[in-house]
Amino acid sequence: MTELFIRLMRRPQGFIGVLLLALIAAACLFGSALAPYAPEKIDFLGRFRAPGWQNWLGADQFGRDILSRLMVGARSTVPLAFIATFVGSAAGAIIGVGSAYLGGRTDEAIMRTNDAVMAIPGLLMALLLVSTLGNGAGNAVIAIAVAFAPGMARVTRSAALNVRNQDYVKAAIARGEGAHWIIFREMLPNVMAPIVIESTIRVSFAVMLFATLSFLGVGAQPPASEWGLMVADARQYMHQAPWGLIAPSAAIALTAIAFNLVGDGLRDALNPKDER
Amino acid sequence: MIPALAIKNYTLDYVTAAGPVRVLHDISLQIAPGEVLGLVGESGSGKSSLAWALMRHLPDNASEVAGSLQLGDIDLQRLSPRALTEIRGRRLGMVFQDPSTSLNPTLTIGTQITEALIRHRGLKRRDASSLAIELLGHVDLNNPAAIMRRYPHEISGGEKQRVVIATAFGCQPDVILFDEPTTALDVITGARILELFARLRRETGVAALYISHDLALVTRVADRVAVLERGRLVEQAPAADIFRAPRHANTRVLVDAVPRPERRLVHDMPRDQVLLAASDIEVQYGSGGLFRDAPPPATKKIGFEVRGGEILGLVGESGSGKSSMARALTGLARFSGKISFEAHEIHGLRDMNAAYRRDVQIIFQHPDSSLNPRHRIDEILSRPLKLYGGDLADIPRLLDQVRLPASYANRWPHQLSGGEKQRIAIARAFAARPKLVICDEITAPLDVSVQAQIIELLLSLREATGAAFLFITHDLNLIRQIAHRIAVMRRGEVVDLLPFEDFDADHVHPYTRELMAASPVPVG
Repeated sequence: MTELFIRLMRRPQGFIGVLLLALIAAACLFGSALAPYAPEKIDFLGRFRAPGWQNWLGADQFGRDILSRLMVGARSTVPLAFIATFVGSAAGAIIGVGSAYLGGRTDEAIMRTNDAVMAIPGLLMALLLVSTLGNGAGNAVIAIAVAFAPGMARVTRSAALNVRNQDYVKAAIARGEGAHWIIFREMLPNVMAPIVIESTIRVSFAVMLFATLSFLGVGAQPPASEWGLMVADARQYMHQAPWGLIAPSAAIALTAIAFNLVGDGLRDALNPKDER
Repeated sequence: MIPALAIKNYTLDYVTAAGPVRVLHDISLQIAPGEVLGLVGESGSGKSSLAWALMRHLPDNASEVAGSLQLGDIDLQRLSPRALTEIRGRRLGMVFQDPSTSLNPTLTIGTQITEALIRHRGLKRRDASSLAIELLGHVDLNNPAAIMRRYPHEISGGEKQRVVIATAFGCQPDVILFDEPTTALDVITGARILELFARLRRETGVAALYISHDLALVTRVADRVAVLERGRLVEQAPAADIFRAPRHANTRVLVDAVPRPERRLVHDMPRDQVLLAASDIEVQYGSGGLFRDAPPPATKKIGFEVRGGEILGLVGESGSGKSSMARALTGLARFSGKISFEAHEIHGLRDMNAAYRRDVQIIFQHPDSSLNPRHRIDEILSRPLKLYGGDLADIPRLLDQVRLPASYANRWPHQLSGGEKQRIAIARAFAARPKLVICDEITAPLDVSVQAQIIELLLSLREATGAAFLFITHDLNLIRQIAHRIAVMRRGEVVDLLPFEDFDADHVHPYTRELMAASPVPVG
């Protein structure tokens, strides 16, 4: 584990990615303590204040400090995206490995159903689910997880098919192990590498998807300082105060880039053939 | 006379994170024009490193500490990359171990062989093409003109190796390096390749360096044999002498490890009561569709009996259905037919209960893939104990049984050598206290000396537990040392099922005789 981390840090994209992630994690953990103002403190004299010494990233239509809102909002954006990806990946991985293990007609049935679900675009799927389940951050998490699971199932299954043909799986079947043990203990640990890499890249999609849902008004609800919601709010005042739009957009982009860089770094670090 | 190939005081290191590792110590070898030198050693002895050094294709972390490599009057180490491409193939040919990876799958055979002839012999395309057809005919390929148009996946492994050999000889090099050219092929195909090699060598008088781990085989093809042990050259002698009078201790180990049918290792007789009786077993992979016929079954309604404590050998070339039989008996492949195990009758996978699964254990060919790389040794060994009832405190005893220290329990499979991994797989099978152990080519990927140790271990475990063995192998010499009866399989059918002593008699099936002729028996 530590060896993997050292190898990850040796690569420039891994190093920068981990640095950015540490920054974001700090914002999630200590954001409300470090923020210079309370996120919902309204200041009528400071409406649309340009970035300066009072408000480093400017202020919005109610005079709320954008930097403070971003720092506090990190907690309601990034962890939720992370949870959604985790749940979706775990479900997809189990479906993929299980399908590869069962094989034959069952595999065919599971994967064709999976393909049918995959044919619906992720955002459309998420919107559909949220409109059925009702608005709110919790339901958005479920929607994103469901939208992600089929893609993960595909990736995992192709890796698991190789593992399925290994003799240690045959040995387990021959000694009469149950499906539970074979799927979770023999096969899953051996397909973890592609799952971890795919998930880190998907977190960035989840951040954007989550922001999109909030932007469309079905995710987090005002006055939460969720980043997507901040973009949606600032949209009306784009010409008066572009900083209200730019700051949260940049934060979303930065998070996405951080997770992508770490994903790329992990892909190289987990590949033992790429020994340099 | 200038030797065709001269290696003088050659020393090679690989630079790793932990410092330099010496793989070749002060090697000096000479090959006269027209001579074949056999180079024998266990895996890790540095024999392939020497071949790559001669081809000037060493990995980036290799560092040549001392010595020189001379091909005729050319100093190989001083050649520029451009000059090297002139030498490779043209003056120094190479034939690799695995013919399936040494041909490009996206080009036809004809393109690959004419390309080599055009580059190295400077021929026009039309001349190269007609010469290629002649060369392919010369290596005993039927209908060479048709082979020219095929892709590598459309011909068999033995045919591919013939194409590689035809290409190597066609460029008329001074020296050809052979790196275990028959290891990836089955016995009969390998024997025919060796015959071809001997004939081409007589005709062309080419010098060769023949690398192999199989001492018996090398003594048949080489004039002189050099033995390499951990990067050091320990002995050089004429091929006929090395078996009769090995001088170095390591050579003696290699000589003793070569299986000889006349040296029996098992002296007891099996019990009378039948342990397992298989009848009319048919294994079928895949079914026919709307537009295609079902493939022929892997085994065609075959049957045999295994008695208590018996060692039954099952031999045959690859694709003869012997592994399918093992898969049917362990419930890894669907089958039709009947298996009676003691009083229990089995007609399909559902009838295999926990008791049968415990009593019949299988050990696979490749220990690398039969041990889960993400499980520690103690977890691997604990599974049969948990499944079939047993005490986890038994793990040190299990390790001791296969002569490994108890401290190995905490290790990962990749920290073990191939032979040690196979011992773990054996310990796992015997943890179930089985009555029948199926060994599916378990010594095939191992060196001869390690194979001898594994066989000795299996026989002592048999002594201790009284288990019967179904021993699947392609090595007839080995199985004649240990089996009570031997079944010979060909294309899904049992052609012979004889007690071991009848194999010298003259009523054996012609195919069995061919198999025996193909198994190299040591010279001397």
